[in-house]
Amino acid sequence: MANDTAVQGGPLIRVEGLRKSFGSHLVLKDIDLSVNQGEVVTIIGASGSGKSTLLRCMNLLETPDSGHIWFHGEDLAADRVNINRLREHIGMVFQSFNLFNNMNVLGNCTLAPITLKKMSKAEAEDEAKRNLIAVGLGDFINAPATSLSGGQKQRVAIARALCMKPDLMLFDEPTSALDPEIVGEVLNVMRDLAAEGMTMVVVTHEMAFAKGVSDKVVFMDQGVIAEESSPQEMFTNPKLPRTREFLSRYLED
Amino acid sequence: MLERLRRFGRFVVEDHRYVFLGTSVVAALGVWFSMQRRSDLSFLRSAYAFEVCLYWFLMGWLALSAVALVLKLIHWKDYAEWSPFRRKPLVTVVRWLSYGVWAATAILFVDRAIMGFFSVTSAALAQDKNPSGFLSSIVYMVDKSYGIILQGILTTVGLSVFGTLIAFVLAILLVFLRIQEIDRSDNDAVRFLKSAGVLFAKVYSTVVRGTPMMVQGMLIYFTGFGLLKGTGMTVSEIGAVWTTFRAGLVTISLNSTAYMMEVLRGGIEAVDPGQNEAARSLGLSQWQAMIKVVFPQGVKNAIPALSNELVVNIKDSSVLSVIGVFDLMFATKTVVGIYFKQIEMYAVAAVVYLCLTMVASWLLGKFARHLSVEPQPLTSVSDMNATVGTVAGTGSSEYSLDMKKARG
Repeated sequence: MANDTAVQGGPLIRVEGLRKSFGSHLVLKDIDLSVNQGEVVTIIGASGSGKSTLLRCMNLLETPDSGHIWFHGEDLAADRVNINRLREHIGMVFQSFNLFNNMNVLGNCTLAPITLKKMSKAEAEDEAKRNLIAVGLGDFINAPATSLSGGQKQRVAIARALCMKPDLMLFDEPTSALDPEIVGEVLNVMRDLAAEGMTMVVVTHEMAFAKGVSDKVVFMDQGVIAEESSPQEMFTNPKLPRTREFLSRYLED
Repeated sequence: MLERLRRFGRFVVEDHRYVFLGTSVVAALGVWFSMQRRSDLSFLRSAYAFEVCLYWFLMGWLALSAVALVLKLIHWKDYAEWSPFRRKPLVTVVRWLSYGVWAATAILFVDRAIMGFFSVTSAALAQDKNPSGFLSSIVYMVDKSYGIILQGILTTVGLSVFGTLIAFVLAILLVFLRIQEIDRSDNDAVRFLKSAGVLFAKVYSTVVRGTPMMVQGMLIYFTGFGLLKGTGMTVSEIGAVWTTFRAGLVTISLNSTAYMMEVLRGGIEAVDPGQNEAARSLGLSQWQAMIKVVFPQGVKNAIPALSNELVVNIKDSSVLSVIGVFDLMFATKTVVGIYFKQIEMYAVAAVVYLCLTMVASWLLGKFARHLSVEPQPLTSVSDMNATVGTVAGTGSSEYSLDMKKARG
């Protein structure tokens, strides 16, 4: 693994001076953020604050205008970096699941390992089954992706990302498209993942999750990181009035 | 199918309210048949009394229907409680009588229409010069020249089927050129090749879709002819190699390629961009994501519109008769040239084309359902571009939605 540059406890991914604009609208203004190995960082903030864009920049689904994203000793934002190779180490889970509709559950999980890691079909399927059982979907391996419920789809999406054995997992509002009853099943999977020591960056509106699971909470407002602190501090004693306002419903007195 | 049969069976054997509504039309049809001239093959000619009975039975039925209608109009509100036609014994009797109406009309139909047709046919076949009647002239000409027409049909089917298949393969290749996008990991050579490919596909599509196939056929035929002449071959040698059929096949393939490419592109662009993002986020290259994830879904989206291309080609191959391809249109023109009966022969051609397109459409519909996509009905053939437009439109609106989410 290319883990050698990231010392245990050191930053696994480091964002420096990141800028991104859509047309004339500057969405990210000089973002600095570092995520340590084994850390769970949640990004919270109002809609339009740029948190999803920041996350999508971290595996280059959005191309930054300027700045650096250091991962495994390489700058993802540099021109003509081999992004495909680096993306193999970064798993991503989307709000709208994005399971491959032309495949069944097993096919979703084995496509990338077989194509990119040159694993044999049997080997990839064993690994996929292990991950699917871990997310509680061992009975659904042959189901078409389109036949699953939202919560099941999202758990398959997590298993699919895990099959590449990533060093870092990015979650882009993974529960926003789910009804309140099945949000729990996805959050439980994410909790287990965090407990196993996975490095995670999670954009979410689930404040209980941010508070309970994360090591660091980042509050974004209008394209900048307004406040960055431990969950205890963020949810008991935020420094900025804007943070206080945003979190007013969740603050404990 | 079985369920539909069972429903029809129930409809027939159960008493229901609307028995007069449809059967009076059938009865009127039967009366109309009985007023037509008897042909020499008519079997009712020797059973005149029976035919009179049928006639009066149908007239009686019409009268009964009229009485029922008048009663219904008078007693609009309380017809259900009041009318004798809604009481049990009479309802059943009327239902059985309605079967009789169908039977009487069927007998009259066979006697007048079918036996009449056979009579005209046998009379026309016995003629040694083209008869003047519309139907008998058609029968006479088709009988005398069915070889030519059959050859034309085979050529038309061959041109359109093979042309569509070749065009499908070419369109898949071309659409790959068309949808290439510069990726940031590409080097300069790849960037240049991708841009050149996109440009070629765009120019090809614009030129081919912007010129008539008739002109393309002429250009291709005479260009091929000229090129072969440059190699020193004689005209008859060229004619053996560069046949009009081959020139026509090349024309229809190259023409259809452009349309199918646009259809495929519409299907591919309608695939949710999230599918591509998910594949890319796992580390798949643009090419791998396209081949494994986006393209299979895009082709599936495009299948209804793609299969319509065969129907379009069956019809449009008719313009290739200008370069002398012996298709159905050319065969028809040939027969017209012999007998000088334009309306009759072009009517035959129209019916044959209609049959071919309906059969093709039915087969393709079965094929599409086999792949579990909703087929497009034949009626929307000419709206093909509009359909693709909406498919692509849906895609792009989803995309803009996603963009908004991304900013959120």
